[in-house]
Amino acid sequence: MTALIEARGVSKRFRQHKRFPGLLGALKTLVTTEYTEVAAVSDVSFDIAAGEAVGYLGPNGAGKSTMIKMMTGILVPSAGTLSVLGRTPHQERMANARQIGVVFGQRSQLWWDLPVVDSFTLHQRIYDIPAARYADNLKRFSDLLDLTPFLDRAVRQLSLGQRMRAEIVMSLLHDPKILFLDEPTIGLDVVAKDAVRRFLAEINRERGVTIILTTHDLQDIETICPRLIMVDHSQLIFDGELGRLRAALGSARRLTLEFATDPGPLPLGTATLTSDEGLLKHYLLEREDVSLVQVLSEVGSERGLKDVALHEPDIEEVIRTFYQRRNAAAAAQ
Amino acid sequence: MIAYAAFARSGFLTSLAYRNEVWANIFGKLVQVFARVAIWLAVYAGVTAVDGISISDMITYALLGGVVMGATRYDRIVRQVGNALKTGDVAIWLLKPVHYPLYLLAIEAGMSAYTFLLAVVPTIAIVALIYGMQPPASLLHGLMFVGFCALSFIIHFLCAAIFGVLAFWLMTVFSLEWLLQSLISLLSGLLIPFWFFPEPFGTIASHQPLAWLVYYPSAVWLGRLDMGATLLYFGIGLGWAGLLATVLALLWHRASSRITVQGG
Repeated sequence: MTALIEARGVSKRFRQHKRFPGLLGALKTLVTTEYTEVAAVSDVSFDIAAGEAVGYLGPNGAGKSTMIKMMTGILVPSAGTLSVLGRTPHQERMANARQIGVVFGQRSQLWWDLPVVDSFTLHQRIYDIPAARYADNLKRFSDLLDLTPFLDRAVRQLSLGQRMRAEIVMSLLHDPKILFLDEPTIGLDVVAKDAVRRFLAEINRERGVTIILTTHDLQDIETICPRLIMVDHSQLIFDGELGRLRAALGSARRLTLEFATDPGPLPLGTATLTSDEGLLKHYLLEREDVSLVQVLSEVGSERGLKDVALHEPDIEEVIRTFYQRRNAAAAAQ
Repeated sequence: MIAYAAFARSGFLTSLAYRNEVWANIFGKLVQVFARVAIWLAVYAGVTAVDGISISDMITYALLGGVVMGATRYDRIVRQVGNALKTGDVAIWLLKPVHYPLYLLAIEAGMSAYTFLLAVVPTIAIVALIYGMQPPASLLHGLMFVGFCALSFIIHFLCAAIFGVLAFWLMTVFSLEWLLQSLISLLSGLLIPFWFFPEPFGTIASHQPLAWLVYYPSAVWLGRLDMGATLLYFGIGLGWAGLLATVLALLWHRASSRITVQGG
C-alpha cells in the first residue's frame, strides 16, 4: 500500500535576528545582520497510510505545529521531501487545500459575528460542495456532535467547547481525505474533550478519514490514535503503538492512598511504596497488568482507606522516562 | 467566483450584526459633511464665485466627497491586512482554496455596500435637502460618475491593501494608517479640490492615483471635464488601478512566500 503522507528527512529551521541584551545591545539589534538558526523540526521521517489515526505528541515547542504547517502546505521545509496525497504541499497549496481539513485549537476559522450556520454555508461556497452532499454531511455531523441547538447562534456567544465542535464539523464538510488537528482539545473541559475524542474516533473508523492530531494530552492519543509519533526538541523520538511505548517504559502510573488514620508502614506486593507521609502514601504501579482493583483488595477494607487517586503519566514524564531508559541503554552497551 | 460573492455577502451581514454602529456611523458622517459645507460657506461669505466656481458647486463637491469616501474605510483594510499578517492569522486563509487579496476585496465590497446603503445615502439626502445639491451636468456625466465611483472604490482598496501588506515588514500598522490618512485628506481632493491648488501642485496632484478617489468623480458630476476628457481620465484611472493591482500582487507574493519560508 502506498503511503498517503510521506516524510523523508524533513527539517525546518527558522532564522532569527540575533538579539543583544541591554540598551546598547538593543541599538545593535537594529542594525545587525547576524542570525541565529533555530531548528523546529530536524530530520523527521515517517509514512502514514490511508485510514490511519496518528497522534503527534510532544511538549510545547517540540515542533508539532511546524510539522502540521508543512504538511498543510503553509510552510516550506528547509530540507528533506514531503509528499501529501502524492503532491508536494507547498507547491500545490490550493489543490492540497481542497482535499484536507484543518482545525487549529488556538485559531478560529468561524465568523465571529455570524451564526455558526453562516460560516458553514460560506465553507460550502469556498469548496464548491454540492448542495445534497453538504446537507447530508451537515446533518450527520451535527447530530453526532449535538450542534443543532446552537447552529443559529453567533459564534461569539458560544462556549469554547461548542465552538471547537463547530470548528471540527466545518473542517469535515467538504469530505477531506485527511484531517489535521492542531491541539483540538486544548482548554476544553472533561465533557467536551470526551465528546470531541469520541467523534474523531468514529469519523476515523466509519468514514476512513485519516487523522493526524497534535496534542500534549496522552488521553487524546489513547482514545483516538492507535499510533503515536513522539517528538521532542525538534527530533522524532518514538514512532509506534502507544501500548508499545507503555510496555517499553513500564507504565509508571502513580497511586496515592489517603487514610483516615495512619495504618503505619504499608508495603504492597502489587505496588511499590515511594514515599510515606503517614496519612498519605504514594506508590508506583510499575506493571501494566496490575489493576486498581487488585491493589485495593490487597490494601483491604479494615485499614481505614479514605480516598484513592491514580495519576496517568503525563507527557513530560513519559518523555523523561523515555530518555532515562534510552540513556541507560546507551550506557549499558 | 461564487465563493467571493459569498464573502461579500458575509461582509454585509457582519456589518449588520452591530446595529448601534449604524447610528454612530450616520451621526459621524453627518458631522463630517456639515463641517466641510460650513467651511465653504465661510470661505464664500460675500463672494458669489471664485475662479468661476460658485458656492453651490462647492456644496455639491463637499457632498460628493461624502458619497465616494463615505463607505469604504481604508483604516479597516490597513488594520485587517496588517494584523492578519502580524498575528499569523493569515495562515487560515492560506489553508483555503482562495486568493487572500480577492477575499479582502470581496469582504470590503460587502461592508462598503452596507455602509453606503444605510449610512451614506441617508446622510447625503439630509444635507442635500438642507443646503441643496446640483444634479449631474448631463445624463452621460451622471452615468460616468457611477463608473468613476467604482474605480474610486477599487483604487481606494488597492492603496489601503498595499499599506496593510507593508505593515508586514515595517511592523507598525498604526503609523501606516496615519500616513495613509494624511495622504488621502490632502491628495484625494476630499478637503480642497485641486482647482484651488497653486501651480504646479495642482497639476501634480491631479496626476497621482489618489486623485481618482474624490477629485475626478466629483469633477465629472459637476461637468468640469468634457466627455472626451472624462473618458481619457477614466482610462488613466484604469491604468493606475492596474499598476496598483500589480504592486499589491507582487508585495503579497513576497509577503506570503516569506511566511511560508520563514514562518512570518
